[in-house]
Amino acid sequence: MTSSIFMHPATMFIIGALLLPLANKLKIQKIWLVLIPLIAFIQIHYLPESFGRVEWLGFDLQFGRVDQLTIVFLHVFTLMALIGSIFGLHVKESGQHISAWLYVAGSLGTTLAGDYLTVFIFWELMAFASVFLVWYRRRTKSIEAGFRYILVHTTGGLILLGGIFLHYQNGHDLSFVAISPDTATLAQYFIMVGFMLNAAVPPIHAWLPDAYPEATVIGAVFMCAFTTKTAVYVLARGFAGFEALMILGAIMTLYGVFYAVIENDARRILAYHIVSQVGYMVCGIGIGTEMAINGAASHAYAHILYKALLFMGVGSVLEMTGRSKLSELGGLYKYMPFTMICTIIGGIAISGFPLTSGFISKSMIIAAAGEEHQIIIMLMLALAAVGTFLSVGIKLPYFIFFGPNDCGLKPKEAYWNMKVGMVMASFMCIFLGVFPDYLYNMLPYAVHWHPYTAHHLAETFYLLGFTGFAFYLMSKYLRPHDVSNLDVDWFYRRGAGWFMWLARHPVSATNEWVSNVYRNVGLRFTMAAAKALSWFDWEGIDWALDGSARGVVKGGDQVRQFQTGKLQHYIGAAVALLFIVLIVVVLI
Amino acid sequence: MIVNFLTYLRERPVFLKWFLVSILAFSVVYDLFVDRQHAEFWGGHLVGFWAVFGFVGCLAMIVFCKGLSHVWLEKDKDYYDK
Repeated sequence: MTSSIFMHPATMFIIGALLLPLANKLKIQKIWLVLIPLIAFIQIHYLPESFGRVEWLGFDLQFGRVDQLTIVFLHVFTLMALIGSIFGLHVKESGQHISAWLYVAGSLGTTLAGDYLTVFIFWELMAFASVFLVWYRRRTKSIEAGFRYILVHTTGGLILLGGIFLHYQNGHDLSFVAISPDTATLAQYFIMVGFMLNAAVPPIHAWLPDAYPEATVIGAVFMCAFTTKTAVYVLARGFAGFEALMILGAIMTLYGVFYAVIENDARRILAYHIVSQVGYMVCGIGIGTEMAINGAASHAYAHILYKALLFMGVGSVLEMTGRSKLSELGGLYKYMPFTMICTIIGGIAISGFPLTSGFISKSMIIAAAGEEHQIIIMLMLALAAVGTFLSVGIKLPYFIFFGPNDCGLKPKEAYWNMKVGMVMASFMCIFLGVFPDYLYNMLPYAVHWHPYTAHHLAETFYLLGFTGFAFYLMSKYLRPHDVSNLDVDWFYRRGAGWFMWLARHPVSATNEWVSNVYRNVGLRFTMAAAKALSWFDWEGIDWALDGSARGVVKGGDQVRQFQTGKLQHYIGAAVALLFIVLIVVVLI
Repeated sequence: MIVNFLTYLRERPVFLKWFLVSILAFSVVYDLFVDRQHAEFWGGHLVGFWAVFGFVGCLAMIVFCKGLSHVWLEKDKDYYDK
């Protein structure tokens, strides 16, 4: 058992995180930050199929279950932890790194878990570690967004836990295996909703674009990779083939991209765009064929890298200029050309340009929808791809680095470690596009799909080229404005306001009124009642007691009349009484 | 170097326009020579289907989203603080 604890890659990150303050004190924090994720990245290649089985309070727990679906996620999670940690090397504050690593540990633990209870434990670790990545930004808005984030995730966690309890009650089995849509009951749907909240499926998605743009620079880089993709993994593991997921996923792709078109804050655009991209994966899981699951897994892999790259690019701009709103940026290509190139690589990869990772993964899901004759779903996904190129591929880099007007800032280029992080992610985006087999060989099922066919290339050229043309014509109308857009978080943000209003006004007023009524009426009534009782006490109880006492005294006085004190009278009376008794006894 | 090159390009919008047009022309010409046996549905068999889809889809999306934002979703930055 002891050895299997150390075999678990999450242990590596937890111990690494706990020792970080020491490493900081010894001035080896930077080495430590590279070393631990690197060891974990190597370690996952040597994991046995099953380890860490524990029996606890009668439950069979399994901390390690490794198969083809697990390995592709473990691979990208540990790689991302390495890239993210390198990107954050310049941050001296250990706290941010500690929360990031505990968050990674939660994600790895969930991915490796073989039973629902272990899933739940690591699931909660993820939520509670990641909220600190928002709070560490220390702005009032971040603190508030962090509280909303943790409240929403706690609610999702409770729904998941409720589902797990019901599931256990039905079968007394907690093992985390695929669920068939035909046998799913309320318990399984509760679990699915818990998972869907973390996958940011509308209408329970608003926590994501609310919290991620308020996170720290490195916090957002980590957050964009782990929460939603862990949720994609658990959905793929448990709920492949659920038609609801296919439909919701297709809606997600469009929902996220619509907001990405209108938003102004660069990191909020990217956050909304996560909703869109995760939609492809959720849709693939819902389709449920081997090709679709492969597509979902490969898209998760590719997406983590290019979305992190985009968050790194935009994060570098934020770090160097203190700004992230498109309306306040422009013309930065002169000062941050390196960041610009990396951001554009991320942008073209996410848009699915040939020779980038998006091309080889996204197309697999769209084609899987086509093969299942889900034409409407397929067209929705294709339209979302158009919106992706429009919002993240062109609009975002254009308004930050070029734009109609120069923002007048002259920032320095990003720090060296940020550049290394961006280069690593850029390299992977292009490497996967050029050598797709590297990724395809890791996928859960054998891949029979060739992305580079003439037909598919023609389709891509058209979609990208004519989207670019439309942007060229409409760029005037796309100019960002500094506003915030409503989303379903309105319900709980306004709802909380109303709740506070209710508490402050009607509830508080009623409370005041009741106090007044008590003071004026209740108190007098109580005093009157006390007086009445006091009167009763005096006149009733005391009279009775005093009366009986007087009676006793009077009786005593009368009895005293008989007592003469002379002995011969007493003896005479006793003899007379005895005589009377004898007569009575004899006669009867 | 790249900065100078980009500045040079930015000063020549007409060249950029023709560059874009040539890319579009290339995609149309390329499409004419493509084998359409593996198309997933009827649209894939038409020349230029995805071009129209991309162009119209993109325009419609801009009009729809920007319009919706303008008439309904757009609020002041401190909307929730009021």
